Amino acid sequence: MAKWGMVIDLDKCTGCQACTTACAMENNTLPGESWQDVLFYHQGKYPSAQMKWLPRPCMQCENPSCVHVCPTRATYKDMDAGGIVFVDWNKCIGCKYCMIACPYGVRFYADEKPLLEPDLRDIFPGSNGQLWSPPYQNPEQDWKRGIGIQPAGVVSKCTFCYHKVSKAPAGTPDLDEDIPELKEYVPACVRTCAPKARFFGDLDNPESQVNRLIGDKHGVRLKDHTGNKPQVYYLGAGAGVPAFEPKPRS
Amino acid sequence: MKVLQTLMTRRRFLKGSAVAGASGAAAGGLGGLTGLAPVAEAQAQSPRGETKITKNICAQCPARCGIDVYTTNGRVHAIYGDTGNPIANGKLCPKGHLGTYFLYDPDRFKGPMKRTNPRKGRNEDPGFVPISWDEALDTIAGRLNRLREAGESHRFAHFYGRGWGASDAGLYGDFGRLYGTPNSAIGHASMCAEGSKRAKQATDGNNSYNAYDYRNVNYILNFGASFLEAFRPYNYLMQMWGHMRSKSPQTRITTVDVRMNPTMAASDRALYIKPATDGAMALAIAHVILTEGLWEREFVGDFVDPEMRFRTGQTIPAGSFAEKWVHGLTEWWNEELKDRTPEWAESVTSISARDIVRTAREFGTTRPAIAIMERGPTAHTNGTYAGMAIHALNALVGSLWAEGGMFYQMGPSYGGLPVNAADYMDDWARNGAWKSQPRIDKAGTAEWPMSGTMMQEAGPNHLKGDPYKLDTAMFFYTNPIWSAPNPQVWEEALKDVFVIDTSPFPGETAMYADIVVPDHTYLERLQDSPTYPFEGWPMAALRVPAVDPVYDTKHFGDTLIEIGKRIKGPMGEYYKAIDSVENVLRHRAKGFETDPGDNGVNSFESWKEKGVWYKKRYLWQQRRGEFYEWDGRGYNVRMSPDEVKAKLIKTPTGKFEFKSGFLEKHADYIERTLGVPAARAGLVQWVEARHTGQGDLYFVSPKTPLHAEGRGGNIPHAIANQQPIVGGRKTVYLEIHPDTARARGIRNGDKVRIKSNLGSIEAYCRYMPAHRPDTLVLPMEHGHWAQGRWAKGRLPGHSGDITENVSDPISGLACYYTGKVTVERA
Repeated sequence: MAKWGMVIDLDKCTGCQACTTACAMENNTLPGESWQDVLFYHQGKYPSAQMKWLPRPCMQCENPSCVHVCPTRATYKDMDAGGIVFVDWNKCIGCKYCMIACPYGVRFYADEKPLLEPDLRDIFPGSNGQLWSPPYQNPEQDWKRGIGIQPAGVVSKCTFCYHKVSKAPAGTPDLDEDIPELKEYVPACVRTCAPKARFFGDLDNPESQVNRLIGDKHGVRLKDHTGNKPQVYYLGAGAGVPAFEPKPRS
Repeated sequence: MKVLQTLMTRRRFLKGSAVAGASGAAAGGLGGLTGLAPVAEAQAQSPRGETKITKNICAQCPARCGIDVYTTNGRVHAIYGDTGNPIANGKLCPKGHLGTYFLYDPDRFKGPMKRTNPRKGRNEDPGFVPISWDEALDTIAGRLNRLREAGESHRFAHFYGRGWGASDAGLYGDFGRLYGTPNSAIGHASMCAEGSKRAKQATDGNNSYNAYDYRNVNYILNFGASFLEAFRPYNYLMQMWGHMRSKSPQTRITTVDVRMNPTMAASDRALYIKPATDGAMALAIAHVILTEGLWEREFVGDFVDPEMRFRTGQTIPAGSFAEKWVHGLTEWWNEELKDRTPEWAESVTSISARDIVRTAREFGTTRPAIAIMERGPTAHTNGTYAGMAIHALNALVGSLWAEGGMFYQMGPSYGGLPVNAADYMDDWARNGAWKSQPRIDKAGTAEWPMSGTMMQEAGPNHLKGDPYKLDTAMFFYTNPIWSAPNPQVWEEALKDVFVIDTSPFPGETAMYADIVVPDHTYLERLQDSPTYPFEGWPMAALRVPAVDPVYDTKHFGDTLIEIGKRIKGPMGEYYKAIDSVENVLRHRAKGFETDPGDNGVNSFESWKEKGVWYKKRYLWQQRRGEFYEWDGRGYNVRMSPDEVKAKLIKTPTGKFEFKSGFLEKHADYIERTLGVPAARAGLVQWVEARHTGQGDLYFVSPKTPLHAEGRGGNIPHAIANQQPIVGGRKTVYLEIHPDTARARGIRNGDKVRIKSNLGSIEAYCRYMPAHRPDTLVLPMEHGHWAQGRWAKGRLPGHSGDITENVSDPISGLACYYTGKVTVERA
């Protein structure tokens, strides 16, 4: 079995957020439930200021703290699925321990006050136990792996688009969207990335493009000191999260 | 224990839900949608129908990216870039994926309607009642027939914004000729980006945006073209960005802009410029290129005496410089450029002379290099001159038609229509009194002699009754009652016009409509779309409906044809022969039979299957100062100066003009409107902008990546992701430098009031220390008073409401970025 990994080159990323919207539509997340988000930071002052951004999917950690704290074992790391961390919505009780334990802020609980009103859940009310049921929903659904639209009261997260990735021919070192036969198996965020800042492949295969990039361009893992060991690597300048600073009021 | 109880509850619930599923879905409130299939077992892998992929073109910006639309069980559920489309290459920008919202927008119009409330205004409910298509089309045609019989056909106007191709906006010209109106159609270009087109017309004779060879360029000097936000084609530009930033040698990029933005942030050098002064910066760069001898001699020419130099402040003798593909360099230097030093430019632009010199040396020593621009420099009263100064840099470094340079777009090999409009003209069409009437917007008259279109003037002109009053106006993909500068005037003007709106969405124009004949959304349309300027070689894409229309809507082109059929006389016969949009497209596609595309498209059917016809062969190239034409194997046929003039550099001299013949023809007008002495009118030169608004702060209203052609304000995911506008999430903030805010007692997050001489709007503010302290930034496309449940009434206010209707006299481009405002706590 492959060990799926993602590489994000921040020297090429343009901060456009196509990854965010591709994910939102592929996985039918609600506004604000951005399994794949892009965080923007700015530092310094005119005329020498900088602005930078950090795309942030679930890191699918090798040693995921979310899994350790889950009281119902709803969240689990599936070594038979490339090491992806899933939430089993049949088991999740929505206690949010995992959200607190996650160092990366990539878990979501959408069954609360909406970010944006009017509330999409009122406009497309849930059926079949779904939290909401938009007419454009993806027909793919697998609640044991947190795929599709969730029921009320559970935590949701990025699945590395397992419903796509799992259909790739076994032994494929890289799921490269530029190879026409492979594009349907590529995670939505990777597939759409216009500047090709994202790569997806097998971290266990030394021949894979992702491993070559990590090697050549000194890939780093975010917050590596936590010991979580993400399966997502960043390349280029700006792979870090600035220390939190409260916004100035005046 | 409680945990376990909850767990049991959920498991029980899930057991039951499979049974309850079918009835639940049937009762689910998906009002108005047809073809719903209940999901059988929600919690397990659900059985699914076959997924069909249809070709389409995104409609959320002018870029025209090919898209693959995924439909399963009659529902569209995913959109990805089309791998076979040369713009999209399988990729999309953030807007593209949200296209399904357009199709399933709960605020869409569901069929044709007429107004019952005769009063019109922001707070008036139109009182729409549904009518049949026959009633709608008969009403419109009846009105047009009466107007024509009364000898007043010129009082009917078409207005359009995003015309796609032969199957919609392409039908306007014949409609106007046959019906008899000069107002078919009033395009929106003067409220879009006409400035860069006119700057190019004035210098190299092409009234067009450029195509670019980004794949091979090594230096980009970017003046206010939001390359990573809104410049077109955005998706393709990002693909090229990834390429340019990782190729060898890496393309170096300097960006000049009035605000921090993603392009500035990602460039090698970000230079903040004072709004409306880009022309001064470009002139100083030209000055350095000449004084330091960095120009491309093979394209520009050289001194007759090799010992001669351009020296600051000193003229050169007439005849001392032998020009090759340029015209007027000596006069340009002597009468303008010799004094445009970096130090002078620093005093105008606030960019240090040191940075200007560094930029000029890089630009002048890296080949190929291009200078690009868009609305930032040109949406000011001095916009055309600024654009000319920027474009002049491309001539100085020889990037016109060069590899890694820029050129102009070729059109597709379309077939002709089944009939010729000239054969269906009655006496009124041929010689009616309408022929002596000017357009309602006065474009091309003595008032706007160099403008092709002046939509922003049409509303005010109607209100004044000058040149006349409109009777009936039909709108397609445009909404000037909201998007024009100072749209309040339009709100008054359109009260006594019979308004026909064709948008599928409840926009501001629709709120004034007497009849609504809603178009399909783009995923339901059969529609062609020749490319915007892209890589130069010809291309035409096609929208293929992914699903049957969800509601009782009609393709705008078919609406137009159906109206035409109902006009009395030969015009009606013409449209009966035209028949339908599909018939138009079948005839256009006949052109592909004799000129098949690179992807094998040679018929209407194969066009539908592949979604695009293209031929990756651009016919001309300039290298080392000579122009060559493609001979089937290479750029081998050397072109004569006459051929270059006829096909490429279409100026009066056939050369790139630093002294513009196009402007000299209108020298008196330029002197009158801009104060430039007539004798100097042709020179590429510095002209100071006239700022409106009467405030103390510049006010810019950029277009963001999620600006979806007027629809971004009603797409929940677009609103939620409005970044990097310092935070975004559920509103769009006014960005203000903290020093500027504190001096006015404004705290971070406060609600503020932004005022100009026209009035005020409100917004929440965010401190943004990365902006200029003298410039406020508020993205446009927000502050709607219609458009749907998410858009309506949401702060911030609309930037247009405090933007005066002032235009560049040369290009006619509305000066959206030239207003100055004050700001205070609300």
